[in-house]
Amino acid sequence: MTQALKILLIDDEIDFVETTGKRLARRGYLAKTALTCAEGLTIIASGWPEVVVLDVMLPDRDGMDCLREIKEKWPTLPVIMLTGHASMESGLHGLECGASDYCLKPIDLETLVEKIAIAHRESRAAGA
Amino acid sequence: MFSAHSGNILCSPSPPFFLRCLPFPSSVMLDAMSHFLDRLTSFFHGKPRLTPAELQAAFRGHYKEFRALLTANNNALELMAEMEQALGPGHPFGMTFVRGNCTALSVNIYKMIQHLTRLADGRYAELDQPFRAITKQLEQVIASRSVSTEGATILSMAEVDAGSVDQVGEKMANLGEVRNRVGLRTPDGFVITASAARKFIEANALQVEINRRLKGLDLDNLEALYTVSAGIQSLISNAPLPAELEEAILAHHHQLDTDPQTELLVALRSSALGEDSSNVSFAGQYRTQLNVSREFVGQAYKEIVAGKYKSQAIVYRQQRGYRNQDVQMCVGCLRMVDGAISGVMYSRAPDDPRSPFVIIQAAPGLASTVVDGSGATELFRVSRTAPHPILHRQAAQEIADSRLSLTDTQAAELAAIGVRLEDHFGTPQDIEWSIDRSGLLYILQSRPLGHSASGEGQDNSISGHRVPQIRERGLPAIHQVCGQADDKGDAVPCDRLPLLAGGVCASQGVGCGPVFTVRSSLDLLRFPKGAVLVIETPYPDWASLLNRAVAVVSETGQMAAHLATVAREFGIPAIFGLNQALATLENGSLITVDATAGKVYAGKIESLLALAAPRPNLMTGSPVYKILTQALVHITPLNLTDPTSPFFRADGCRTMHDLTRFCHEKAVVEMFTFGERYGFDDKAAKQLVVENSPAQWWVIDLDDGFTPDFNPESRYVHLGHITSVPMQAIWQGMMAFPWAGPPPVSLGGLGSIIFQSTRNPSLDPAVRSAMTAKNYFLISRNFCNLSVRLGYHFALVEANLGEFLTENYVSFQFKGGAADENRRLLRIRLIREILSAFGFRVEQKVDAMTARIEKKPGPYLLERLRILGYLLIHTRQIDMVMADEGMAATYREKIMADLHTLLDTPTEG
Repeated sequence: MTQALKILLIDDEIDFVETTGKRLARRGYLAKTALTCAEGLTIIASGWPEVVVLDVMLPDRDGMDCLREIKEKWPTLPVIMLTGHASMESGLHGLECGASDYCLKPIDLETLVEKIAIAHRESRAAGA
Repeated sequence: MFSAHSGNILCSPSPPFFLRCLPFPSSVMLDAMSHFLDRLTSFFHGKPRLTPAELQAAFRGHYKEFRALLTANNNALELMAEMEQALGPGHPFGMTFVRGNCTALSVNIYKMIQHLTRLADGRYAELDQPFRAITKQLEQVIASRSVSTEGATILSMAEVDAGSVDQVGEKMANLGEVRNRVGLRTPDGFVITASAARKFIEANALQVEINRRLKGLDLDNLEALYTVSAGIQSLISNAPLPAELEEAILAHHHQLDTDPQTELLVALRSSALGEDSSNVSFAGQYRTQLNVSREFVGQAYKEIVAGKYKSQAIVYRQQRGYRNQDVQMCVGCLRMVDGAISGVMYSRAPDDPRSPFVIIQAAPGLASTVVDGSGATELFRVSRTAPHPILHRQAAQEIADSRLSLTDTQAAELAAIGVRLEDHFGTPQDIEWSIDRSGLLYILQSRPLGHSASGEGQDNSISGHRVPQIRERGLPAIHQVCGQADDKGDAVPCDRLPLLAGGVCASQGVGCGPVFTVRSSLDLLRFPKGAVLVIETPYPDWASLLNRAVAVVSETGQMAAHLATVAREFGIPAIFGLNQALATLENGSLITVDATAGKVYAGKIESLLALAAPRPNLMTGSPVYKILTQALVHITPLNLTDPTSPFFRADGCRTMHDLTRFCHEKAVVEMFTFGERYGFDDKAAKQLVVENSPAQWWVIDLDDGFTPDFNPESRYVHLGHITSVPMQAIWQGMMAFPWAGPPPVSLGGLGSIIFQSTRNPSLDPAVRSAMTAKNYFLISRNFCNLSVRLGYHFALVEANLGEFLTENYVSFQFKGGAADENRRLLRIRLIREILSAFGFRVEQKVDAMTARIEKKPGPYLLERLRILGYLLIHTRQIDMVMADEGMAATYREKIMADLHTLLDTPTEG
């Protein structure tokens, strides 16, 4: 990786986004956090993030809805869905809406980092 | 369905040696195979031709899809293996695990289908249908709920038997069985059913709030656990009973009240649904309330229902795979027995289901003093054979009033009952009993005795036969027993004297870890995983630590204590009644607890630990275990085993495994025939320039597998031009030792013919084409898919060594051989042993084998590839000489020696 990957975490669990953000930073990634979909969309609109990690349950709107809007406006931006509640239905729904991956909390950082890197690589490959 | 192009090539009906359907060698289409490239050339006429740059881009694009598909396949196979392993020993899991893995699995398979469809320019969309169908079936399994039995809120004990279990819970169902079927005396009373509990919770709309509080609860955070547990319990205890239910309870209570002279007192006993079922007992997890008067019956009932959420019950359910909604609290309301002597009886010794005696523990008063693990008791061993003489009698402490001591007649009567109940229930029983002041014997409970699951096997493995000492060790409160005869003295070095010896073997086994003394619930919060729990008294409350403890040592208590029962179920070694334990064992010091021998040693004694039996899977028979088992029915069976079969098609996929197999298969085909469809690489397959090889090798570059200076027009490629890391590793393994040629064959006939033809392919025209069928490497820098046909064997090696562990794997498939089946199987077993030794996960179906490793670092996988390369060359004819096990052992030794040399050799370049 020549430049630090820019990752946006959208999740209303403050504990989770804060610690994950810090741990990603410690590994040389650039991480920003947003607690709501609206906040996240603003950051995405600025063109900053290269990968988005999105919680399925957000306070201001349904995560799936949020995903749909992101993919509509920025179809090549990879989004990884993250959730504390596994359901096969929502998992498939997320992928159908264009998510790169769908993971369950708790997820160890190693795995999340790999998923982020792979999603990023695949998105670039597809765009190339 | 087969795609048109692969149909053209793969036109033979199932040749037997293929696991993989790369669209080349089939036993029938020999000529076509040997002219494969020529066919490709002619096939391309009329195809639109793209510019080289466009082609390169298209190919790269397809290769990316292929790689992503392989990664998803890797994830899917790992998830499936994880779920299968969960059914084995030592893996507690809950619904979160099942739901999470199923979700991750379906997500990855969905991705595989998407990638395949893109790879195949839109074909295979029909996979969606079986995928949806299987997903739906899985969802149904996961969503399945315990069947709710609507019905009476109260049943009289006279109406209860084993058939009532869904209404009254297993404890009360068993007691009804004892009363109404076996015909023994049990206290009069009634059961407040599961329907009643459900109505109570529903009437107050409590479940949503309970679930909310339990959600995301981290069971390792004991402080949070206790807070949540206490909160939920008070929520339930403080909710009002529905008026209808309260009236019904009081009405039944009134019917029991037949004696106007004395106040009626009842015992309320919890009888959870799921309790006591096959090896599972929530021993001591739930409340029993004694001597309850009329005015407190309602409150006592609510508190017992609330007891479902005691902290240790929450932990216990999670450990055992019980979902909260699967447990319903039924409550038995029974007239108190005015116990003069009470106790517990085991119809057999807990560690020996064939013991010729029952074990009785008796104490003055109510049975709870024995069960609590406190109080003076008498211990009897009474013959199971009439007239049931007492074989052994021991009092922990003299009982002053002889009327409170069990008579010989009473002991005999109890023993007879023990035998009778065991006969009735068909398995050794753990019985609670009480004799009232008028001398009437009541049975309060009878349930299956929790035998240590590993006990028997362990005895056998230690001494080869059952020795009396081991049975004796099971006896409670006998210092002479646990402290003596060391029939496995060999295991302990002679100079190692135990720190402590004696006590009661409450649960067999050996455990090692640092001492952690627990004196209060404050210590409980700090208890680390993997420590030895050292306590003064085996209170039931400590049970919540048993999934973190490796062994238990208690200064007091006997094997009837609840903590002992739970320890046996968990397979955690435990010594109770070990004097001076607290004073002798220093906090933090490492000790080895040999509970079977009743000894504690300083430090770690490997030889003893090696004897420890594996922990049983506690989940067996639990609802979550059943759900996982049912889910796996839709996940792991592989129906699509033969890619050349007409049934190897999308609508033949019945399981998730079928889908992964189909997608992977077709993806490889798509990559292989890419050039055919796009018409650019009719010369893509380059022959590898090698000397002294028994076969020809062809290489197809998928992406960046050749050096940039390689001339794409060339029909040949030298090893030096190959950048594929995994291919180079395989090749090193193949060439590390000169091929010794076929081993000497002792048999004539078939073996001889094959030997001949293998040594010199051109000898026999009938088999020549089969023998010379090409072997292909499909490669990129990080990827290699090698399919090999040497002689009558088919093998496939595939590996990816990517940037990320998630993408890394090596897989190997092997099938065939010309010798008879027995020899083929001997060889498969040999290969299997070798691969298992090197960390592969191996599966075998008759003479077909698959082996896989995933998510390991590159150097580790490269070693495995060299091993596979070696095996491809050097085992290919061994079945010819695999006449017997001795021969197999000889080859095994040689192969292992070679492999160690191979792995010690530094790799080139």
